[in-house]
Amino acid sequence: MADIATRPRTATLRTAVAVAVALASVSVLARLADPSRVEWLRAYMVIFGSLLVQALPFVTLGAFAAALVEVFVPIGTLEKLGRLPRPLQLPAAALAGIAFPICECGSVPVARRLAQRGLMPSAAITFMLAAPVLNPVVIASTYVAYRGRSTLWTMVPGRFLLGFLVAIAAGWVLGARSKEELLKPAPKDAHEHTVELGRPEARWRKFFVHFGNDFLFMGRFLLLGATVAAAIQTFLPASVLTGIGGTPVVGLLVMMALAAALSLCSESDAFVAASFVQFGPSAQLAFLVSGPMVDAKLIALYGGTFRRGFVRTIVIVVAAATLVGTMWIGVIFG
Amino acid sequence: MLAVWAALFWFLLLSGRDAFYLSTRTDWVVPVAAGLLSVAALGRLVTARVAASEPLRRREAWIMTLMVVPVLLVMVLPPVTLGTFSADKRAGFAGAGIVPTGDIAEGELTFVDIAAGQTTPEGERALAGRAGDTVSLIGFVTRYADTPADELMLTRYVVSCCVADATIAQVRVVNVTPGAFAVDEWVEVTGPIYPLGREVIVSASAIVAVERPDRPYLTA
Repeated sequence: MADIATRPRTATLRTAVAVAVALASVSVLARLADPSRVEWLRAYMVIFGSLLVQALPFVTLGAFAAALVEVFVPIGTLEKLGRLPRPLQLPAAALAGIAFPICECGSVPVARRLAQRGLMPSAAITFMLAAPVLNPVVIASTYVAYRGRSTLWTMVPGRFLLGFLVAIAAGWVLGARSKEELLKPAPKDAHEHTVELGRPEARWRKFFVHFGNDFLFMGRFLLLGATVAAAIQTFLPASVLTGIGGTPVVGLLVMMALAAALSLCSESDAFVAASFVQFGPSAQLAFLVSGPMVDAKLIALYGGTFRRGFVRTIVIVVAAATLVGTMWIGVIFG
Repeated sequence: MLAVWAALFWFLLLSGRDAFYLSTRTDWVVPVAAGLLSVAALGRLVTARVAASEPLRRREAWIMTLMVVPVLLVMVLPPVTLGTFSADKRAGFAGAGIVPTGDIAEGELTFVDIAAGQTTPEGERALAGRAGDTVSLIGFVTRYADTPADELMLTRYVVSCCVADATIAQVRVVNVTPGAFAVDEWVEVTGPIYPLGREVIVSASAIVAVERPDRPYLTA
């Protein structure tokens, strides 16, 4: 009896009809009501849509790369990385991010898959946090955004070095935690072993199963994150925070909070950071380093991928390490 | 689900609606996503035949339904852009590194040149040298509580990757017939510019209503 009560209910023909009716109703109501006539709703829809249209292709690329790792990279390859001397593992994982020029949404499924495939979880997390900050596209966009300013050579190397150090710090704090302590089990993972390996067609089947599952798994959390981030962007005036730009430490915290709220892509955030001229270079660095590691849409993605305690740890470590690092940069470079 | 999202990206690509969400620097993601998702959908279809199929849970079905809703809304509703509502919530455009000072000092002045010139002292000096030059700018009408009746703010958003990172480029337009243009209406303003520090004023010799451009956002 208890077994029946807890068994997940399967979709039936009735479910399919209900889904079709719901979708048709949404379409008709949206067309009739035309919510874009309401100013705030129009702004919300544009920002929400743009976050999705830009981030989803990167999630797709991430799911594609993750499926390649899962199916075509031999298990031994990743285990070999684990045999590197321990002090070298985390820096090597962080530097591997240079070769992965996609934004933060794409690095989450890859890190998850790397950890599942046997890479030391702390190294996978270091890679996940470093890739969106260290990759060449992001460094180039930071250079373009600050070109012509006296702070150029504080911002570009500062972002690279601080991003590198913060990612390593996060991996170091995680230490020797196992993948079971780190990862939430994804609903479909338990069934993946049923695909027979060795035959090419079975490999491709497994590839497409992983590709599709990772896309669906990450996509739903991206949707949740974009919903929250778009609401914040719609209603939060950028000017509300600029009055406290000159206050030491508070300015750093405000810029980190702003980065988390705005949930910008790491490939474009430098242009927005550069526009906050009321804040000094160290506060702008705090925005550029912590934003691609912890923001509203990423927290939703992390929440779906990792266990709750881990998400809390990563938020605290990234915030603390960024704060300390940018304070030092503020002391040295003013 | 993969096919639905693939369809959205094909729709954005073929209808040109990607310009309402992305800049020209990042619109390459649309064909990439359309292609990859189509391959994924076809791959799942071709490899779908298994000995024992796994039933879809009802909860999963409803989650997938929720994931389809944004696709429907983008396809069903007419395309919209950010307007006046967001103008006072966005940061100003900072384009010092994007537009060389030489481009501001000589040649045709664009909205991006003018906005970039307002960012740095060198840009301000270059803009000041253009005082009296005639410009022609397209943007939408913005009015704040303190905007006089015979003035308007001509606004354009500048995006680097997507609309979520939009910053504003703005000039003050004087010599406007009071009540002639509604907020959010797209207009083309022609007239000489007079940069005053970080503010640029255009003394309108002509203002005409125009259609919203196919690419409503400028790219930095």
